[in-house]
Amino acid sequence: MTTPAPPPSLSDELRDAAFAALGTEHAAIWVYGLVSAFLPPSTAAGVAAASLAHRERRDAVVALLARSGETPPTAAAAYRPPSPVTDAASAAALAVVAEDDVAAAWRAVAERTEPDTGAEWRRLALDAVTAAATTSITWRGLAGETPPVPAFPGDGAAS
Amino acid sequence: MTPDEDARGVVPRRTVLRGVGAIVAVTGLVAAGCARDDGPDELEAPLAAARSDAAAATAAAAAFPQLAASLTPVADARRAHADALAAEVRRARPDRATAVDAATAPTLPPAPPPASAAAAVSALRGSLGTARDAAGALALTTASYRCGLVTSIAASCAGQATVLA
Repeated sequence: MTTPAPPPSLSDELRDAAFAALGTEHAAIWVYGLVSAFLPPSTAAGVAAASLAHRERRDAVVALLARSGETPPTAAAAYRPPSPVTDAASAAALAVVAEDDVAAAWRAVAERTEPDTGAEWRRLALDAVTAAATTSITWRGLAGETPPVPAFPGDGAAS
Repeated sequence: MTPDEDARGVVPRRTVLRGVGAIVAVTGLVAAGCARDDGPDELEAPLAAARSDAAAATAAAAAFPQLAASLTPVADARRAHADALAAEVRRARPDRATAVDAATAPTLPPAPPPASAAAAVSALRGSLGTARDAAGALALTTASYRCGLVTSIAASCAGQATVLA
């Protein structure tokens, strides 16, 4: 492992997309804290793993932004779910929304990168969209949504 | 999801998506004028893989009806991947449109059907994993306006493989 060179300053578009992606990570962390009380105990390990993955990616984004001289936005105090969470199905549906938001925001990041300068952002984006597509399989199943995997995660069609 | 009161620095998702669409449209037009015209397009390999997976999933679902519920969504997704990749090749590389269209005609005898449902699922899972890795590698090197599509396809293949695990 070698220490990567400091990334160049970000384009306005990439910076805005990265800020938005960070916002969806903050929101997903908040969502998992809310839905964990409603989801069946059999999913506790999955909830913990998903929450941890979002916190790790949040930290990676904050660090990458800092190396580019950007001050990332902080998390909102709370978020407004599009529909109330009252049971396991509605909790799972909200987790799907959070994961789809993450996928869409990170796909937008990927599209604002250049192949020669954006490798780190592209890897983060690929990991994020991939994790969203795989993590949401369980939540889509609990929410009764099909198909279990979108054909184009992050393209906005699934949410 | 929307922040509950003070939306500090959070760009609404709809706004983000609209912006992406505009960028894709503009860069796509520019790229069409300067696309390389030698050799196959880089998307033809993932296109062939998507078509192959769609055919294999369809055949396995027909041969083993108990697999239809799990393999039909895989076939549908891989067919959608193939359609999107073929459309992008035709747009960016009109000189490759004939090759892309001709490749839909079967040139080889179909592979022998898997011996069992478990073998069919295992083969497809392996193929999806290969497609996930190949698309993931391409996502790191391809042009900006293709990066979103290829990233989504890699993620979808990862999810499909997970469903079959």
